[in-house]
Amino acid sequence: MGAPFDIGYVFSFLPKLLETLGVTLLIVAGSLLTGLVAGFLVALPRMYKIPVLRTLSGIYLSFFRGTPILIQLFLFYYGLPEILKLVGLDLTRAPVMFFVILTYGLHTGAYAAEMIRASVEAVDRGQVEAAYAAGMTPYQAFSRIVLPQALAIAVPVFSNLVIALLKDTSLAFTLGVMEMTGKAQTLGALTQHFIETYIALAFIYLIISFTLERLLAAAERRLTRHEIRERSGSAGRFKLKRRGSYRSVWNSLAEADAGKGGGI
Amino acid sequence: MIQLSKISKSFGRNPVLRDISLNVGTGEVVVILGASGSGKTTLLRCINYLEKPGSGEIAVGDLRVDCSRARRSDILRLRRKTAMVFQQYNLFRHKTALENVMEALLVVKKLPLAEARRRSVELLEKVGLGAKLDAYPSRLSGGQQQRVGIARALALEPEVILFDEPTSALDPELVGEVLEVIRAIAKEGITMIVVTHEMGFARDVANRVVFMDGGLIVEEGTPDEVFQRPREERTKQFLRRITPEANYSI
Repeated sequence: MGAPFDIGYVFSFLPKLLETLGVTLLIVAGSLLTGLVAGFLVALPRMYKIPVLRTLSGIYLSFFRGTPILIQLFLFYYGLPEILKLVGLDLTRAPVMFFVILTYGLHTGAYAAEMIRASVEAVDRGQVEAAYAAGMTPYQAFSRIVLPQALAIAVPVFSNLVIALLKDTSLAFTLGVMEMTGKAQTLGALTQHFIETYIALAFIYLIISFTLERLLAAAERRLTRHEIRERSGSAGRFKLKRRGSYRSVWNSLAEADAGKGGGI
Repeated sequence: MIQLSKISKSFGRNPVLRDISLNVGTGEVVVILGASGSGKTTLLRCINYLEKPGSGEIAVGDLRVDCSRARRSDILRLRRKTAMVFQQYNLFRHKTALENVMEALLVVKKLPLAEARRRSVELLEKVGLGAKLDAYPSRLSGGQQQRVGIARALALEPEVILFDEPTSALDPELVGEVLEVIRAIAKEGITMIVVTHEMGFARDVANRVVFMDGGLIVEEGTPDEVFQRPREERTKQFLRRITPEANYSI
């Protein structure tokens, strides 16, 4: 398809695509923020087994994890204004970006909720009892004992989540948002050098993913410095002396690398 | 002075404690024995409300708590008068040995950092871990972890320390060092209630031995009375089972 391959185009497309990097990163950052807040709100009723709300959380999770992100984008962009019209709210003039960040945010929220729940539950209950027995309040026990450890447990899952989100944002162009993938489409159509644009595009996504992964791996190493590290094997993996309590995270979230987790 | 009066507790329909009353005087070491399922651990955990008793009254020092209408503030005060040493140590895994001991001093007792640190170092030296102050629990053996757990309990200067099978999770060769430490602090006159299977320890250290079965206190007395001349058939059976080589004349 299109013009014959010319490597030169790859290099000339790179800066043009990078002009829209800001839009992509804005979607990622906005969605992460929305997602973490949504995730926390959805995780709470599940952790504390609050009736009714817990069921609603379950429905939320099923919807956002069980339907394709593309369909969710269409439903929110075309469907939400129609529904809100019924209650007298006019969203037809709201910017596309609003719908994009809302959809990606709620989508991310579903995964964030499971990440939060699994991480908090993976901190062994005995430590909470020890905190209570020493006279700490539930808030103190959570913030000083559970939270720091849950954060460390959550980082590898969070890392996957951010990278998945980054890649998913490439679908925002279907609503006409000029982020990196949208720009690549346009450049391809203009020059007929489609392959070159996609090579340049893939390269940029790869570099960002790689950077994010490294950064988060460093954060994980810092947060888990209290665990004995395994010298061999992939960097950043840590050997757990008492694996049982942590293993549940890996099981409940069948994420990539589960096989390596804990080095079992 | 600890007074438990008519403590009852059920898990669902299954009663685990039936109207238990027990007094422990200041400086006394009481060992609770019993088969698993006899309710001994549940009783211990009721004292600091890690299990919620169904009914009864708990008094620790000058604090009295009616279990049928205990408020959050009552429970918190009860916990601040007691300390617990756990079977699984339950150290805070993201904190060093020193930080484990300091934590409640800073957060609960609100001591200044220097004071908390001084006292924690002192206690860790006392349990023989002066060289391990900055080690994380993952770097410590079970015996060392449990000694940190004991230092952590001592730091709170509680009216009573509750020991929940403190040596049951330890490798046999590590049991001795932990019992040694408990024995030493028992001699200092710290009030202790100990759930354990270590008969030798119970005989040497306890002022009083309480034998529980089926959610009831079946028999209590000095170690000599309970081990040498048990009155109840259930006690005799238990002692026979736990000491098959008949170390004790029954």
